Amino acid sequence: MSQNADKVLDHFSLFRSQEYVDMFENKKAFENAVPVAELQSAVDWTKTREYRDLNFAREALVVNPAKACQPLGAVFAAVGFEGTLPFVHGSQGCVAYYRSHFSRHFKEPTSCVSSSMTEDAAVFGGLNNMIDGLANAYNLYKPKMIAVSTTCMAEVIGDDLNAFIKTAKEKGSVPAAFDVPFTHTPAFVGSHVTGYDNTMRSILEHFWDGKAGTEPPLVREPRDSINLIGGFDGYAVGNMREVKRLFSLMGVNYTMLGDNSDVWDTPTDGHFRMYDGGTKLEDAAAAVHAKATISMQEFCTLKTLAYAAKKGHEVAAFNHPIGVAATDRFLMEVARLSGRPIPEEITRERGRLVDAIADSSAHIHGKKFALYGDPDLTLGLTGFLLELGAEPVHILASNGTPDWEARVHALLDASPFGKGCHVYPGRDLWHMRSLLFTEPVDFLIGNTYGKFLERDTRTPLIRIGFPIFDRHHHHRYPLWGYQGAMNTLVKILDKVFDVTDADTMIPGKTDYSFDIIR
Amino acid sequence: MDSLANTVQQVFNEPACGKNLTKGDRERKKGCTQALQPGAAAGGCAFDGAKIALQPITDVAHLVHGPIACEGNSWDNRGAKSSGPLLYRTGFTTDINETDVVFGGEKRLFRAIKEILAKYDPPAVFVYQTCVTALIGDDIEALCKAASARFGKPIIPVNAPGFVGSKNLGNKLAGEALLEYVIGTEEPGYTTPYDINIIGEYNLAGELWQVKPLLAELGIRVLACISGDARYHEVASSHRARAAMMVCSKAMINVARKMEERYGIPFFEGSFYGVSDMSEALREIARLLVARDAPADLSARVEVLVAREEARAWARLEAYRPRLQGKRVLLITGGVKSWSVVAALQEIGIEIVGTSVKKSTKEDKERIKNIMGDEAHMIEDMTPREMYKLLKDARADIMLSGGRSQFVALKAKVPWLDINQERHHAYAGYDGMVALVAEIDKALYNPIWGQVRRPAPWDAEGVS
Repeated sequence: MSQNADKVLDHFSLFRSQEYVDMFENKKAFENAVPVAELQSAVDWTKTREYRDLNFAREALVVNPAKACQPLGAVFAAVGFEGTLPFVHGSQGCVAYYRSHFSRHFKEPTSCVSSSMTEDAAVFGGLNNMIDGLANAYNLYKPKMIAVSTTCMAEVIGDDLNAFIKTAKEKGSVPAAFDVPFTHTPAFVGSHVTGYDNTMRSILEHFWDGKAGTEPPLVREPRDSINLIGGFDGYAVGNMREVKRLFSLMGVNYTMLGDNSDVWDTPTDGHFRMYDGGTKLEDAAAAVHAKATISMQEFCTLKTLAYAAKKGHEVAAFNHPIGVAATDRFLMEVARLSGRPIPEEITRERGRLVDAIADSSAHIHGKKFALYGDPDLTLGLTGFLLELGAEPVHILASNGTPDWEARVHALLDASPFGKGCHVYPGRDLWHMRSLLFTEPVDFLIGNTYGKFLERDTRTPLIRIGFPIFDRHHHHRYPLWGYQGAMNTLVKILDKVFDVTDADTMIPGKTDYSFDIIR
Repeated sequence: MDSLANTVQQVFNEPACGKNLTKGDRERKKGCTQALQPGAAAGGCAFDGAKIALQPITDVAHLVHGPIACEGNSWDNRGAKSSGPLLYRTGFTTDINETDVVFGGEKRLFRAIKEILAKYDPPAVFVYQTCVTALIGDDIEALCKAASARFGKPIIPVNAPGFVGSKNLGNKLAGEALLEYVIGTEEPGYTTPYDINIIGEYNLAGELWQVKPLLAELGIRVLACISGDARYHEVASSHRARAAMMVCSKAMINVARKMEERYGIPFFEGSFYGVSDMSEALREIARLLVARDAPADLSARVEVLVAREEARAWARLEAYRPRLQGKRVLLITGGVKSWSVVAALQEIGIEIVGTSVKKSTKEDKERIKNIMGDEAHMIEDMTPREMYKLLKDARADIMLSGGRSQFVALKAKVPWLDINQERHHAYAGYDGMVALVAEIDKALYNPIWGQVRRPAPWDAEGVS
């Protein structure tokens, strides 16, 4: 046997041993497989324009979607608050997905529970699950707040969270004054960015509007502080810290609403922190008095910002700002709202970024890019690519709306490098596959799932997005601020040069251009 | 006077150098390179010059005798491409230590040569002298002679330790080493009436390969390129060429002139940069070959090729005219000959605001004057500070220069394009000119330059 107890081969090498290679070859005779040539011609056909047209004519089927469901966003928003346990009312299987999703991306545990609804609950309603679930969660995990959202199952049967939670409190599941904000997050509406928005709004509403009728609403006494909401962001750890650093340099009085930077980056020092960092609950409440609320991701906070505006805040929304101009706009707005000047130190960071881009622009200039991801991220990246002189060719967001599409077009139209770029709202990665075959590009920007596109189409993948499962620790490095744009620039350049090297490293064949200086 | 000092004097007394001829005896003795000013920034040393001139010979081992500094910092740092062997890109050094400095490094060098021959079996080993080993008195010439006799392989001493002078002098000393020990030591397998040498072309970014197919189409064989993409045997048998073209005049003029003297190979000075210069070079090659009994129809065939290639190149360049017309360029060039690039750029409507003539000959300067008129801003030797001021005053839209001036341009907020040895695009030949213009276009129109020139918006608008 190829396998032997003294030296156990793992899957990388075991199935390449001759014995297995022969076995796979021999069993083909019994598999009644299509002839290789026929198979190949079918594979080749999937690369054609004809196939692309059929692919884009798909009506019902979604293949490899680049989006996730509302409750995922709900959990993301909830863990950004101090001592908060996300509680998803519905089936526990869904919650296991959210936890593994975040843990695989952030390399940290994510605390989250469900009401574990089963068949009987689906028939008779989930009230008992809510009552028991809140009581258990409260007693087992000692949270300061439980933020309730829902899975589709609870939504389909029409569970009324408001009434359920009220009843649970009456039954003593949690103390009457315990904070249990809640929101409905059906996955069959919107995507994870919608769930983020709903949850963020529900938590603010809870604190600002009298905690579900149990207290009088807060009366706003305008102050000079600024609220900042990051939105659903795979780079939250790095980005939040970067924003806080910039605000400190400027001396801005601020409140981060939903600060995930510590809970997804706890130190290994012998203490398990079920909850770490996050927006203090009293700060979340006091945020109603702020002068303004800024969102870094407009499409993640449509309802939240509207709510803040209704409370009398000045609001400003950005689209995952990356690059010189986008960061300029962000900081200028912060300066305007806070009345704090932009200090020399930040001006120097800006100059360094401009310098770095100028140093390297020739290597990105004119390169063609395809990108996909969340609506705000794709807008931010598109702006940056145009700034670098790159040419975006396909921009796709499975959760992109017509409004998003119009915004991307506006960006593209403002630059000569945006000509000939197409925007695809509501499409999936199988659509992207056809696009990459029929209109090839130099690089693809996307999350880990893009690696299948890279494998099939040989388009080098630059990993920017959520989730990133197969590379570690990218979330620690910001994309925002001038430093963040620098990180993004380096990420892109590294791939550009890696591709050049890979292209020139065959000894005696292509390595005449395998240079140490690039 | 020892032999190195002798060689240096000889090199300084270059009769083919126009500049040299106008000097008096005493001035000539002082040499053609200005004494370096201590404390002022300067370029590379003679060792570096020698190394870069010879390193493009691809199949030999280049062994640097000295401490780690010389080779450790410089190995494989040039984009001289090879179509075959890659041994030239491997860094070989004796990496001498303290004991060697005290007791001498010759034994270590001898053993190093022996090991190279045992492990790599190259057709030759080039041994480079450096400051430290020269100071302690290691006699590489004697040693190489002994090693050649012992191993039966050419072991070539390149005696250009850094302290003897500039990089340019090093280029010439490298040429002297070739003349002394390599050229004329072997015979070509066969000869044709169409054999030429190209001298002073290093095949940077593969530029020679943009020219070679044109020559091949005309039936002209490059017997040896000194030294781009060269093999030892080609250089050793290059004395049988019928004519030569000298590409980078200042670097290897001694090689061309002495080969004419010794072997009767006529040469001309030409350039592969720019459409018309490329055509001129082809015509001149044909003229020299025909004068030495190549079939006379060669010249007519050249004209056919030139007409076709020029038409093709101009058609491709024309597309850039609307975008580049009136753009102002500052040229700070080293090896790439200013005047030929100037002519080519002007042909598509680019305005030249100045060009460096530091490495240009008197004729070069005359040519530049002819092309650019009296308005010619010839810059003899520009300090970075002056360069910065010129760019800062927005008198140029783009600067073309070597990598070392890159940062001056960028800090002055002006786009910059690399046209020196670290460039990644080949600009020689008809295709190369199109590539150069395309790169200028890209550099000028990259959106970052708009950003570079604007202050931070809060500074501009007085936001506080």
